[in-house]
Amino acid sequence: MKKIIALLLIAMFSIAVLGCSRQAAKSPAPEQTAKKNLAGTTLKAYAAYGPLDKIFAEFQKETGIKVEFLDMSSGEVLSKLRAEKGKPTGDIWFGGGVDSFIAAQSDGLLEPYISPEAAKVPAQYKEKDGYWTGVSLAIVTFLVNKDRCKELGIPVPESWADLLNPKLKGEVVMSDPAVSGTAYFTLYGLIKDTAQGWPYMGKLNVNIPAYAKRGGEPPQKAAIGEATVGISPDTSEELKAQGYPAVTVFPKDGTPWWPSPVAILKGSQNPDGAKAFVDWCLSEKGQNILKQYTPRVPAREGIAYPAVVEGIKSAKMMNIDFIQAGNERDAILAQFQKIRGK
Amino acid sequence: MRETPFWHNSKRSVANKTAGVSFKDTPFQELSEKLIYILLGSSLLLFILWPILLVLKESLHGNSGLSLGCYYQLFSQNRRLISDSFLLAVASSALSVTLGLVMALYLTYSHWKGKLFIYAVLLLSMISPPFIAALSYVMLFGRRGFITYKLLHLSINPYGWHGVLIMQVLGFASIAALLIMGVLSSRDQSLEQASMDLGATPLQTLLRVILPVAKPGIIVAFLLVFVQVLADFGTPIIIGGNFSVLASEAYLQVIGLYDLPKASAMSTLLLIPSLLMFLIYRRMMNRSHFSSPSVGSSSNELMRLSPFTNLFLGVLTLSFVGFELLKYLTIFWGAFARTWGVNFSFTLNHIVDTLGAGKMDSFWRSLEYSLIAAIICSFMGMLLSYYLERKKYWGHSFFDFVATLPFMIPGPFLGIAYLLAFHGPPIDMTGTALIVICNCMFRQIPVSTRAGAAVLTQISPDIELSAKDLGARDLRVFFDIILPQLKPAFLVSFINTFTATMTTVGAIIFLISPGSKLATVELFEFVKIGKIGEAAVFANLIILATLIINLMFSFIIMKRKLRNQYLGGEGVYVSGIARAN
Repeated sequence: MKKIIALLLIAMFSIAVLGCSRQAAKSPAPEQTAKKNLAGTTLKAYAAYGPLDKIFAEFQKETGIKVEFLDMSSGEVLSKLRAEKGKPTGDIWFGGGVDSFIAAQSDGLLEPYISPEAAKVPAQYKEKDGYWTGVSLAIVTFLVNKDRCKELGIPVPESWADLLNPKLKGEVVMSDPAVSGTAYFTLYGLIKDTAQGWPYMGKLNVNIPAYAKRGGEPPQKAAIGEATVGISPDTSEELKAQGYPAVTVFPKDGTPWWPSPVAILKGSQNPDGAKAFVDWCLSEKGQNILKQYTPRVPAREGIAYPAVVEGIKSAKMMNIDFIQAGNERDAILAQFQKIRGK
Repeated sequence: MRETPFWHNSKRSVANKTAGVSFKDTPFQELSEKLIYILLGSSLLLFILWPILLVLKESLHGNSGLSLGCYYQLFSQNRRLISDSFLLAVASSALSVTLGLVMALYLTYSHWKGKLFIYAVLLLSMISPPFIAALSYVMLFGRRGFITYKLLHLSINPYGWHGVLIMQVLGFASIAALLIMGVLSSRDQSLEQASMDLGATPLQTLLRVILPVAKPGIIVAFLLVFVQVLADFGTPIIIGGNFSVLASEAYLQVIGLYDLPKASAMSTLLLIPSLLMFLIYRRMMNRSHFSSPSVGSSSNELMRLSPFTNLFLGVLTLSFVGFELLKYLTIFWGAFARTWGVNFSFTLNHIVDTLGAGKMDSFWRSLEYSLIAAIICSFMGMLLSYYLERKKYWGHSFFDFVATLPFMIPGPFLGIAYLLAFHGPPIDMTGTALIVICNCMFRQIPVSTRAGAAVLTQISPDIELSAKDLGARDLRVFFDIILPQLKPAFLVSFINTFTATMTTVGAIIFLISPGSKLATVELFEFVKIGKIGEAAVFANLIILATLIINLMFSFIIMKRKLRNQYLGGEGVYVSGIARAN
């Protein structure tokens, strides 16, 4: 009787030790030409974008391709891809900090693809060889807790200069630029801005009690009142809709931004499905669906801005060279460590 | 026959007896037994040692071949980080063990009927879903916290080393308490009575008799908590503010900068003191024996502590219980509150949204993985402890060491190690469910093995020897004699692995693939987009499911009574130890 269990155990270990090899013998894909027959296939995505389940459901409705996804910040995806050494467990990478995409490209982890739809995307929002293509513009905003402002007796801060108010000491939350793309482009934009530069960052540092180690933390802290200002990606519609006393502010004296890209991973198991997704994201229809779920400035020309980001038109977009930002990353992060006194 | 009591010289004599082949053993049976040992050993090598070695190799990776550059850099530039890590670990473990001792004493000596309730809260506090538990702490005790700000009008900044210290002390106190209680429950009560009869006050008895008796438990609790605190990266990340320790910094080096060599060096540095602690701990376990089997003194009346001492212990214990209950109440209410933290009016929307949105897949998957991991890990742990504690084949102390390693390294690190080891030939299993389950399982092997070993040291080998004398073969002895006696250890192992797998997040983030999300990952996604109500629903689901499965399993295994002393001694690290990951 009990012997059976013993045998089972042995069998189990043997499987664990010997087996587990993924079936390497993948039958050669029957005729590449069998195009558009992608319905029913599955696409695996790493993503950092709006409500992913809804976005991917729309994509499936359109193409019949089912998307399985993991919501990971771009730094995490980059680490995972590097450890996977060009044999990724996913097909596409959707949204996040473009700095990580640039780094992945130089590590040879991305597959170039120039989508026919990309013609409508301005050159500054995409990589010229198609390693990544911007889908929308992610914008750095302040999420400000109105109640906290009242308690502190200050008006809602509207500019980077306003954040230096001594009354905001300990009240401004920003993520660690090493972890979060939002924070990195904020840092990069501010130090490259002639009016601000490193000295500004040094002064802002005084008001920041600690750098959050997770990208999504600042808006949340501001919403629940742990802080007054959260330096956030996007406009945190979900939090505002729930009734938190928060408003979104586009900093008047310069808004950092970056194109939020989509890219195909080198070694993708479903390259045609991945291409179909890139095409869909950049198409007119896809762009309109995306902005409906995540109100951002669309990357494609001729798409109307969603209402909530209309305010960006009166703000000043910072001038940011992404390739440069990607290349200088290590040096800038090292300099930043000195500023924050670590 | 053997006259010496088993708890003295037993090990050597058992080893001698079993090492020689019993004449009833046929070569085949002997072989099958050795085969299992070899399989167990090689799976330890493959799934624990190899991945960890790959990581160590990474830490010696220089620009040109091997180099100690990373370590040199660490010691020259991060001295502060290193000293902070160790100071915090010492402080956190000292304080949490003190609090644990207080609670253990109260639970042992109080005559209050509500003791059982406190005990239940201690067990409950082991189930701590990530993110949302931290969030509820912040909402209660943060700068605008409900308690600190709204009720007490304090504006305390919880972020910093003090916040980490408090969270860790609260987080590890219950484990320490359960460990010390285990030792106290098997004490010889006649000692106290003798002390009292000789005219000592209860306080004198407490300080001069009871504390020395509890000493091994206190030291073991300290060592175990120390190792765990050192490897805890989650708390410093959530609440550390600008304060960081080696474990959290190693995590950020991987996540933010992908500096694998530096992260590896940091983790290796963590490993050294942990190894030292482990060696001390092994010596302690070998020398002092928890179980001087109580000599029928159970009918004696429990010593009464002085009202003042009792009050002191009681107030501390109850405030801990209060803290924990408040935390769980907040999480519970969060699932029904319209806007967490702002508008606490009742709503069912979050529940409807969560259950209706096809989000339950990940929950069922989590349950499935946790069950598989818990069952296999417990069987393996029991088998291993039998081989290591009783059979002592060649290499047993080495395998014992390997089986303890996962306990000492920060969770995400083992995740990366698995990714390095099992991505591509000879073993390619990234992206499969198997790699996630293996990771969760082998991460908990130390607890399962230790739990088994702890119980085995308390069981007299006489029965096994009799069974053998009557002709039972070794495997038969294991299944018929050992396994039934290991039930409490099996239970501890199951509860620990199941709970840890249900609430894990750090290690698996690198191993899960799209389409095989787990409940904690889903929870994190809700937190990330700000749907805190939905996150709370998920957190409650995790708590509830873990609680129910653990209770059901306890009931099945132990049938009726769950006697405390069964779960006593070393066995009760119970679950939640791995909450840090």
